[in-house]
Amino acid sequence: MAGLDIFLQNVANGVLIGGVYALIGIGLTLVFGVMRTINFAHGDFVVLGMYSAVLFNALLGWDPYLSLLLAMPIGFFAGVIVERFILSRVIDAPPESALLATLGISLIIGNTILLTFGGEPRSVQVSYASSTLSIAGVNVSMVLLLAGIATVIMIGALYTLLNRTEVGRAIRGTAENRLGAELVGIDTRRIHSIVFGLGVMLAVMAGVTLIPLLFATPTNTGAVFTLKAFVVTVLGGLGNVGAAIAGGILLGVVEVLGASYFMSEYREAYGLIAFLLILLFRPEGLFGRTVKRV
Amino acid sequence: MTKHFLGLGVLLAVGIVYPAIFPNYLTIAISVLLFAGWATSWDLLGGWNGQVSLGHASFVGLGAYFVAIGQSRFGLAPWWTMAMAAAFAAALGYFWGWLTFSLRGPYFSLSTIAVAEILRLVAINEEWLTGGATGVFIATLPEPFGIDLFSRVAQFYMALAFAAVVVATVIVISRARFGYQLRAVREDEDSAMAAGIDPTTTKLKAFMLSAALTSIGGGIYGIVLAFIEPHVIFALLLSVQIALTAIIGGRGTIWGPAVGALVLIGAGEMFRTTFAEANMLIYGILILVVVLFVPRGIVGELARRRIRRLYAKRAQG
Repeated sequence: MAGLDIFLQNVANGVLIGGVYALIGIGLTLVFGVMRTINFAHGDFVVLGMYSAVLFNALLGWDPYLSLLLAMPIGFFAGVIVERFILSRVIDAPPESALLATLGISLIIGNTILLTFGGEPRSVQVSYASSTLSIAGVNVSMVLLLAGIATVIMIGALYTLLNRTEVGRAIRGTAENRLGAELVGIDTRRIHSIVFGLGVMLAVMAGVTLIPLLFATPTNTGAVFTLKAFVVTVLGGLGNVGAAIAGGILLGVVEVLGASYFMSEYREAYGLIAFLLILLFRPEGLFGRTVKRV
Repeated sequence: MTKHFLGLGVLLAVGIVYPAIFPNYLTIAISVLLFAGWATSWDLLGGWNGQVSLGHASFVGLGAYFVAIGQSRFGLAPWWTMAMAAAFAAALGYFWGWLTFSLRGPYFSLSTIAVAEILRLVAINEEWLTGGATGVFIATLPEPFGIDLFSRVAQFYMALAFAAVVVATVIVISRARFGYQLRAVREDEDSAMAAGIDPTTTKLKAFMLSAALTSIGGGIYGIVLAFIEPHVIFALLLSVQIALTAIIGGRGTIWGPAVGALVLIGAGEMFRTTFAEANMLIYGILILVVVLFVPRGIVGELARRRIRRLYAKRAQG
């Protein structure tokens, strides 16, 4: 019985942490789906979110969730500016130009944070950091539960935006066929800016929800999150929002279960190995339907 | 080709007298030479063949670990372990390429990051082999012909020889049949195939050569560091640094990666006090400048301008 309890506990933790991975992955996959750009700076925007929570906490004493109110709009506009001034200029260049540009942005963000905050790990202490909630005999950490709830709300909002609004329709149209979208009068440049803004906003939000749980360091953490986002989106199939959610939860569960039942030192490697296998055998993703191997 | 070899000869001559003239600037010169060698090796695959790898630190790490473990555990001299590392790196490149070359473009780059990260995790966790996160220490080295390999002068000459051999290899390849195959595959795989070139074999050869050369430089780096830590030598940042050095200098040009190494390491040294450990900021800014304004890189852009002037002159009669 005890074995089952621990198993359920692990699955619950995996699902909740996977929700945050999903949030990170959705941002990346949305940007890729619409702009066909692989955003190497995505993880650094997550770290930027973490540091924004640290900053608001240090200056104003705000709880991370309160700082979301400011951090998310700022993230959105930062994304719009980056797209306008950098990415929009390389959108028609060979695909690796955009990749290299985001790599540059990633280095600039990480090292600017390093110059501003220094290299030591930062975190935000919250009163509910170690409290747990018992649901049907399974103990769930409060921080993870809050992150899970925030993720569900955000995904719901995003779903409504994409499927129920005019902007969402324009985004989906641009993703499907940029030229076709332009022919029916959609300003795809504006859509690209909005989508990149949304991607950064999601990354920032994920960072803020993670800060009570993890320490933020300027340069390494960014790369870790970028990798996780790649793993999540490739698991599900690049460019597919629904699949990114499934991919995120899958990665969370695989990591937690792999770490508790096999070798915990290789926690990070399980996701990477799954990622390689999928790249090799199903580049369109586990749930992808469009079989177009380019 | 003779022109390039002449240039290389002049640079070698300068290099040979360098330690006598600037004995206090040897460490930075070693960095420049190693990065020039690595970036030029990277360019064989990334520039001449168009396969952007973001995992070349793996080969640097392999070389360094082979030399360090061979010396400290088995008493093997660095030249044997470097040869072994080169062979192993080529074999790894073959296997890695065989797995991933069916992927094109960004998917290949993504897979290189994943493979390099897995290698880093192995180096950190397999303590029986690598000493784990603490790393390996090289306490003694043999003294061939009475040369102390721990001295910076000896290390400088090793790095100089490494960089020269790599550049010479690229000069030869640039005019060889293989060099044209590399470029054909880069420009258009399908057309290359139609011309009777097997893209996968070409990419595999480029990857193996690039990996082997990089690992030899890694072995020298191991000697220079004398203390090898997995999170330093297998770092994603080192992979990124190698790739960006070549791209900023000029992809697919003979001298571009070497010029990139000189400019970037030089700039890093100049701003060392301002940026401290945040010196990768320069790489970030420069790569943005290159992507937005000079997509061919420094040397590529200079070559383009020279050709344009040449045509302009010819047009005037």
